[in-house]
Amino acid sequence: MTRQSTLHFHRMKDMPSSHLLGTGTPMCAGCGGLETLHTLYDILGDKTVFVNAAGCMTLLSVYPFTPFRGGWLYTAMASAPAGAQGVRDAVDILLQKHKLQADEDVEVVVITGDGAAYGMGLSATSAAMDRKLDFIYLCYDNEGYGNTGQQYSAATPHAAITSTSKGSRGYPGYKKDLFSIWAAHNPAYVATVIAAEPLDLAKKIEKLQSLSGPRMLISLAPCPTGWDYDPQLSVEIGRLAVQTGVWPLKEFIDGELRHTRVPKQRKPVDEYLKLQGRFRHLFEPRYDSGAIAEIQARIDEYWARVVS
Amino acid sequence: MFRIRFHGRGGQGMKTASRILGSAFFLAGYEVQDAPRYGAERRGAPIFAYVRADHCAINERGIIRHPDLVVVADDTLVGMPAAGVTEGVNENTLLLINSHESARTWARRLNTRARILILTAMDEVEDRAELPYIGSRCAAAAAVLCGVISRDLLLAALNEELAHLPDEVVKKNRDTAVDVFENMAGEVGLVSQGGQQTANDYVRPAWITLPFESAEISNLAVHAGATSVLVRTGLWRTMRPVIDYDKCNGCWWICSTYCPDGTIDVGADGFPQIDYQHCKGCLVCVAQCPPHAIASISEQLAREQENEVAS
Repeated sequence: MTRQSTLHFHRMKDMPSSHLLGTGTPMCAGCGGLETLHTLYDILGDKTVFVNAAGCMTLLSVYPFTPFRGGWLYTAMASAPAGAQGVRDAVDILLQKHKLQADEDVEVVVITGDGAAYGMGLSATSAAMDRKLDFIYLCYDNEGYGNTGQQYSAATPHAAITSTSKGSRGYPGYKKDLFSIWAAHNPAYVATVIAAEPLDLAKKIEKLQSLSGPRMLISLAPCPTGWDYDPQLSVEIGRLAVQTGVWPLKEFIDGELRHTRVPKQRKPVDEYLKLQGRFRHLFEPRYDSGAIAEIQARIDEYWARVVS
Repeated sequence: MFRIRFHGRGGQGMKTASRILGSAFFLAGYEVQDAPRYGAERRGAPIFAYVRADHCAINERGIIRHPDLVVVADDTLVGMPAAGVTEGVNENTLLLINSHESARTWARRLNTRARILILTAMDEVEDRAELPYIGSRCAAAAAVLCGVISRDLLLAALNEELAHLPDEVVKKNRDTAVDVFENMAGEVGLVSQGGQQTANDYVRPAWITLPFESAEISNLAVHAGATSVLVRTGLWRTMRPVIDYDKCNGCWWICSTYCPDGTIDVGADGFPQIDYQHCKGCLVCVAQCPPHAIASISEQLAREQENEVAS
């Protein structure tokens, strides 16, 4: 049974207290992506078909085990939205022929990592948005190719050490602004979320349920393995990403951009960076004030535009 | 050919151990393969890595079925079917276990004719995922037992493989390795090499061996939903979160919402319960509980206490 019509998320007490997603998955302890997924699944309900591009979460459903209560389809890295189109079309045809009843309709949900979303799957995603495909897309963004040992991706932030940017300055590039790229397609809904802010996450999921067409979510997914920190800090680091302004929570709907959380007093970015091994070279053996000031300046510049 | 398998938990550095040993063999003039088993390299989860070394080209591929030496970094893995520690172990295998218990105890417990050695016991640490320098200890011990790698070659390999770490960490790893070479001087070359196997000798197995699990798991309904609950990821845990119900104020179930794995449900009484069969021990709940009602204790200790109560 879908619970979409009965839930209204106003306060933390409205969050689900038992969970739909099966336990026993092979995701790492403290996985920030899994945290988002289990909330999404709790709210969407079991009438969902997940279409999963290659990535960490491909390991969710390893035969014969699955944490899902409904369908799951595995696609190549670049083609999850194409897979979603296939599932959507098939369900629509079955509905049309009355081989499925209206109450048996399913929500098609793409889940991919940032490697697929920001990089090789971008063109298939763009085309799906052009076609106004009725689906939900969740990108769990752990800022690198986590499943294969955290090589850098187009989502990797400036200066982060990854297994392919090990130099003393880390990754020389800058994180791609996927939110704006997706928003430029003018889909039904685009939002950034994070599991460390569950109420904001739940409200956005509830909102996208009331819409049809392409509904796109990017969840920053703190990753103990790839970012090199103690797993118990996952929520703390996620919350700091929001409080320092590194990860703006926002949504784009009907051509309008809205920030759902504007930190009144942004914490210095140091507080977010210093908890993570991938940024340790900015603090040891000595404090790299130049690099940190540059990161801070980019954040300040972003928020100066938001507030004005 | 030397066939060596390292067993440990994600985070204990068995992949690094296999690389150090592999590089050392290479420096000693051997052809080498070293690789971790890919797929579940999760912190606390059982993982293994392996090394093959020979003076001629190695044509074997894949997982080592019949190891000459098995190195076990964490003795809690031995009894875990999914870890596969004893797979393919026979009377020609040498089993090196990091344990506080004696070789005799282990021989009796495992009912095996394999030779068993105990890796000089280390001080117990609270969190088993963080046994200090265990990777270097295991690599050095394996080198000693194989008997064809000098201390200096092992240290050269160690330097090469740990080059990305700070100097003082590398130094501690070196000291650990030197210590092992000194302590195990009487055990040089105990490993006997297995013979060459060629594809011609391959005998197709009559059946596929799966680790012994209960019928519920080996024979599950594949079309059913949420079958992943049959996988006991609680075995990954090295630290255990424990709720103090005197302090728990039945808040708006923050622990249940933040638990990435959904292993905390709230009962009808409004209080949360942790599912220890599946909790991986990330301790996010400990860090987030507003009244600090959840504490973490060593899993090792918790199990020992449970055993005492049971007996």
